[in-house]
Amino acid sequence: MSQELNLNFLKGLEQEIVLDVLYRDQMLRKMEEERIRKLKMQLQELQWKGSKSTSQEYSEKLCARCQKSLGVLMNRGAVCNGCSHRVCPGCRIILNPYTWKCTVCYAQEDIKAKAGEWFFEERVKKFPAEGKHETAGTKLLESYQKLSNISVIPPTPPPFSESTSGVNTVEHDQRKGFHRSVENLFLSFTTHIKNISKSQNDMTVDKYLLTADYGQEMELRKERRSQSDTAIDIATRVKLAPSLQRLISGAQDGNGIAPERNCLQKVVSSSPLSSIFSAGIKRGSLYSLNSTCSEAGNFEEADVSGEIEFAIRYNFKSSMLEIFIKACKNLAYGEERKKKCNPYIKTYLLPDKSPQSKRKTSIKKNTVDPTFHETLKYKIEYSQLEMRQLQVSAWHSGTFRHRVFLGEVVISFESWNFEDKSTQLLSWYQLKAKAEQSEDNMINYSGELLVRAKLISPSLCNNSEYEDQMKENRKHLFPLAATEDKTYPGYQLHLIVLEAKNLPAIRPDGLLNSFVKSCLCILGRRDMKQRTPVLKKQAHPHWKHLFVFSGVTTSQLQQSCLDLTVWDQSTFGLRNQFLGGARLGTKVPTRTSDATSQADLQWQKVLSSPNSWTDITLTLHSNAHVFNF
Amino acid sequence: MASATDARYGQKESSDQNFDYMFKILIIGNSSVGKTSFLFRYADDSFTPAFVSTVGIDFKVKTIYRNDKRIKLQIWDTAGQERYRTITTAYYRGAMGFILMYDITNEESFNAVQDWSTQIKTYSWDNAQVLLVGNKCDMEDERVVSSERGRQLAEHLGFEFFEASAKDNINVKQTFERLVDIICEKMSESLDAADPAVTGAKPGPQLTDQPAPPHQDCAC
Repeated sequence: MSQELNLNFLKGLEQEIVLDVLYRDQMLRKMEEERIRKLKMQLQELQWKGSKSTSQEYSEKLCARCQKSLGVLMNRGAVCNGCSHRVCPGCRIILNPYTWKCTVCYAQEDIKAKAGEWFFEERVKKFPAEGKHETAGTKLLESYQKLSNISVIPPTPPPFSESTSGVNTVEHDQRKGFHRSVENLFLSFTTHIKNISKSQNDMTVDKYLLTADYGQEMELRKERRSQSDTAIDIATRVKLAPSLQRLISGAQDGNGIAPERNCLQKVVSSSPLSSIFSAGIKRGSLYSLNSTCSEAGNFEEADVSGEIEFAIRYNFKSSMLEIFIKACKNLAYGEERKKKCNPYIKTYLLPDKSPQSKRKTSIKKNTVDPTFHETLKYKIEYSQLEMRQLQVSAWHSGTFRHRVFLGEVVISFESWNFEDKSTQLLSWYQLKAKAEQSEDNMINYSGELLVRAKLISPSLCNNSEYEDQMKENRKHLFPLAATEDKTYPGYQLHLIVLEAKNLPAIRPDGLLNSFVKSCLCILGRRDMKQRTPVLKKQAHPHWKHLFVFSGVTTSQLQQSCLDLTVWDQSTFGLRNQFLGGARLGTKVPTRTSDATSQADLQWQKVLSSPNSWTDITLTLHSNAHVFNF
Repeated sequence: MASATDARYGQKESSDQNFDYMFKILIIGNSSVGKTSFLFRYADDSFTPAFVSTVGIDFKVKTIYRNDKRIKLQIWDTAGQERYRTITTAYYRGAMGFILMYDITNEESFNAVQDWSTQIKTYSWDNAQVLLVGNKCDMEDERVVSSERGRQLAEHLGFEFFEASAKDNINVKQTFERLVDIICEKMSESLDAADPAVTGAKPGPQLTDQPAPPHQDCAC
């Protein structure tokens, strides 16, 4: 391919345009990675459900998929052509009257199609050395950040000697981008474009990222591709073929007893997983508003000991977090001298420590090894969960509501994988004494703000003036090249502030005169500020107010932040009181995608898919000083 | 099936994860043959007669329902101008399908088809599928490239051929759907090579080549 580079070939405005595209592509790729990761996890689950562990003897007549025992004469099962395992009729997918596959082989084929691997196998033949530039895209965008910071500075003569080669320049630029001339930065930029374009076979990159956890095993897989097992799609509603979802649940249900596997570290409960949370189990108290927030006040603390067994899962259908409290053992005595203990379990979904966040089990009498079998439930959006922590504490209920703290477990959902079935199993947790630092989180949380956002692309702004202006701009593209064109009309960001929940109560009646301020800070531009009207005397304000920010580009938004702050209007002309704030976007795009919160993802979704509305639930924080308003 | 389904699944577009396959498609051809218009017609069902030269690259996302599968298309629109060639050719790799476009009222754009085809062969992977499209077929009065010449060239290059008009919305959807179909065919073919496929596309006669009786080792 032609290696020559036209050094002048991307002018200021063109960069903006191309980078907008690159950002959108990056977002799309991230989402695709996520989709394939999920598929892969589901395949793994299917494999776990059944497949014979290597330690097991083949002579055992078990179906390799569902572990159902097979007969010697009747119902012998048959050998799958793909994996040579013997499977029962229930674990076969009939492709046509002559061909069938076992569920896992079918799923493996399926993922090959769905992840596009079939196509990218060709790459290996034609470009065997490629596909190792997974960071090129990030590099390009990073280098662009530096570019954009100085793009308003007029070009200066190149300060470096002519001997500087292109590649070296790139290295230099990354370290001291600010001091380089615009031309040199363009050079670096175009070089990066080359890099990124090499890695443009997105799926290849995906493949490496996705299979990172497989390590070297994956290298082998590439050789023996026919045996590659990547992932499988469950969520899709395949019309012709049986639903894999059903296959999985079928394997689970028809199973009776979950097979023990060496690879599973956690204690596998003897009862089937699905029945842990099933109905019929007595449910814990939903609220207990009459009891004051116990953690805040006076309580005794016993010498903490013992363990608690519970399981957590998230019901995506009903948006319900469910905690199945099974039992405790070796609890400390609530009243040591009398050897008395009436334990119960209480949970909070931190950082919310209000009564709404409290759930309790029933009280068991005179035991330090209580069995509860109760499910405590929280109705909560999935997107909110990762910011929460589950605090499970054991208490002794003495006479006259005298309470003694027996220990607690705090589980952070930040990195909790609710989709992984293994996290839903019952586990024993060591009870611990009160953690100190949880107070900070509590102070921080001040409710939630619901917004809906949409980016409107220039082509849809059906404003003929605007269109003409756009064309005009393009015409003058080249003369304008080096100067920042501030009038360049880009996208319009529409943001509807819907409502706020769980705002702090600052008046005795809990009612607020609230409004929302927004402040969009784009580098090199004046902050764009807007505010909603004040809603009087409402505890849960529904503003439904639309903010419009026009003349922005996606790449600008990628590097800017939008602060939304909720205020209470003071009655006597005093200072308005800050209730909470939240930030959309960051000034520096983080490279670690796994650390981004759900709201960040939603925000990226807004930026990457123009012209469609996205709902975002933001957690409000009470530290006013970090926000712009 | 299409229009109702499209409307339903077109809503969320790029952020939607509920699909079976993702295909990347590239539209290439000389400057001003109508690549961008063609894409806008397909993705947004809109058309603007004004010519705005594409800067570098752009893409749109559209999810369609085809062969009982939801397929998400990332359709790349490329700049026809030579000066962007370094960027655009970089995107050839990874594209499963190409729409190679010329303008039936522009002889030069037709003559360039051979070169574009060479570019595809050079930069893309061998299992990429190509359709040749003669755009602007609404402008019959100004036609300089006959359908027959287009068809012959396509045959010579081994591509399928369509004449289309983004302006009058002729054959736009058909072009994309045909391309999706042949990518699907290619996919099931390449999966079949190893084993009978699960792609849902045509359990053709090739499947019977190696019949595997369900109970081959039954003791009865």
